[in-house]
Amino acid sequence: MSANIFRHEWRARQRSVIVWSLAVAAVIFIFLSFFSGFADQAGLINEMMARFPPEMRAAFGLNDMDLTTVLGYYSFVFLFVQLCLAIQAGNYGFGLVSIEESELTADFLLSKPVSRGQVLTSKLLAALTALVVTGLVLSVSSLVSISLFRNGRDYDAQTLLLLLLSTVIFQLFFLGVGLLVSLLVRRVRSVTPYSLGLGFGAYILIAFSGLFGDVKLELITPFKHLDAARIVHQGAFDTPLVLINVAVTVVCVAVSYWLYIRRDIPAVS
Amino acid sequence: MNIFLRELKSNFKSLIIWSVIVALLIMVAVAKFSAFAGDPQMLAMLDGMPPALIDALNMRTFNLTTLSGFYGVMFIYFGLMGGIAAAMWGSDIISKEERDKTVEFSLVLPVSRSRVITAKALAALVNCVGLVLITWAVSLIAVRSYSPDRSFYAFLALEMQAMFLIELIFLAIGLLLGCAMKQHKWSASFAVAIILTTYMISILSVMQEKLDFLKYLTPFQYFDAGDLFRTGQLDGAFLLLSAVIVVGCLSVAYWSYDRRDLYI
Repeated sequence: MSANIFRHEWRARQRSVIVWSLAVAAVIFIFLSFFSGFADQAGLINEMMARFPPEMRAAFGLNDMDLTTVLGYYSFVFLFVQLCLAIQAGNYGFGLVSIEESELTADFLLSKPVSRGQVLTSKLLAALTALVVTGLVLSVSSLVSISLFRNGRDYDAQTLLLLLLSTVIFQLFFLGVGLLVSLLVRRVRSVTPYSLGLGFGAYILIAFSGLFGDVKLELITPFKHLDAARIVHQGAFDTPLVLINVAVTVVCVAVSYWLYIRRDIPAVS
Repeated sequence: MNIFLRELKSNFKSLIIWSVIVALLIMVAVAKFSAFAGDPQMLAMLDGMPPALIDALNMRTFNLTTLSGFYGVMFIYFGLMGGIAAAMWGSDIISKEERDKTVEFSLVLPVSRSRVITAKALAALVNCVGLVLITWAVSLIAVRSYSPDRSFYAFLALEMQAMFLIELIFLAIGLLLGCAMKQHKWSASFAVAIILTTYMISILSVMQEKLDFLKYLTPFQYFDAGDLFRTGQLDGAFLLLSAVIVVGCLSVAYWSYDRRDLYI
């Protein structure tokens, strides 16, 4: 780990962290501000839904979601926050080392007296710090928004904490996968199409599962691994799925180290 | 013409990737649909659902056991994919010259800047048309085994037109960003911001009736699949709005690129 690289990476990401944090905070604030109005409507819906056979509720993914409670509604909003976080983490992951090649600064960086492993570690830690800072802003804005708009309704603080913790695991997945993919392709010209494709692709899979019931394919999307509605409903992580998620992340990062240390990096000629 | 062909070639891979994603999406969805198709039990349950619940699930006017109803629910995802792809193509095709430091080369060619943009915009447009046609073709193949009736084909055609219009809007926005942003890095970031914001707005606009006015702000809601299904045509007011956005973005794009100090 090299403090200089870490500092440089953190500085390069500062503005992006501020923008994403504000965006996430805004999403939470705006969506939660409609909670009280929505909760009254949703109360009617919940009442009617109780009369339906359970297999049908499961088919529409409504089993776990109760929009009249603070956390039920929050888990609905949380999905969109996750979408933002996925794209942010994907951006950092895909750009982590590929940016040196596309901006032709790789020779400069790699001629420094630090090993490639150290370079990657410093970069990963800087990205992780950026993600954690975003997570902290998300936590603060969630707490503030909930206390402002909860309308006297109670919620379980422990479950909320669990949800907020899940963002770190969630983002690390996209960071890891992004990093690995960026090392597998020959050249990453622009980061955004990749991160948008990965983020929205995973999101669309989960949105589908909500509409049409369960299919095995959803096991591959981290939105399902850390399904907010489920965490709120059960008050705990779905351990096997979270383990799959963490395992994929760890494998991705490990393979990335292996690939990066051996990578043939084009120099400026 | 040379620029046009070159851009077509360099964007071909991206078109293939997006097509594969959309095709996979359709395959997964149709595989799921097989569980619903014509299932009388499901139909009975859906019939028994209170309208408020159907509203909440954004399934009004859709009967999920029919192919048309199913494709109605799919429409928002087609629009989303098309919009993202088009915005990326639009902004990237202009800003990549500055990013890859080839802008000096392309602008010393004996063609005006406007003609460069025209050629590039046309190449991106061909990509958009290609993506719609592939979505259409894959859909036709995927649903073949359900032997859909004529009205489904008409509805599908209408949906694909709407998808194309959404693509056009985002393509124009993307081109504007590529042309007008002083730093090439900003164009992609702004494109992401616009896509995410419009998508969030589109969700907000269907959540509550009093937020209905928000749908004017988000192209994803310009063509509601339910309306398409009921009326069998694209909404005139929103067609006009789309045209205004596209023409507006394009004219500002041409105007600003002609005057801009390029990053070398």
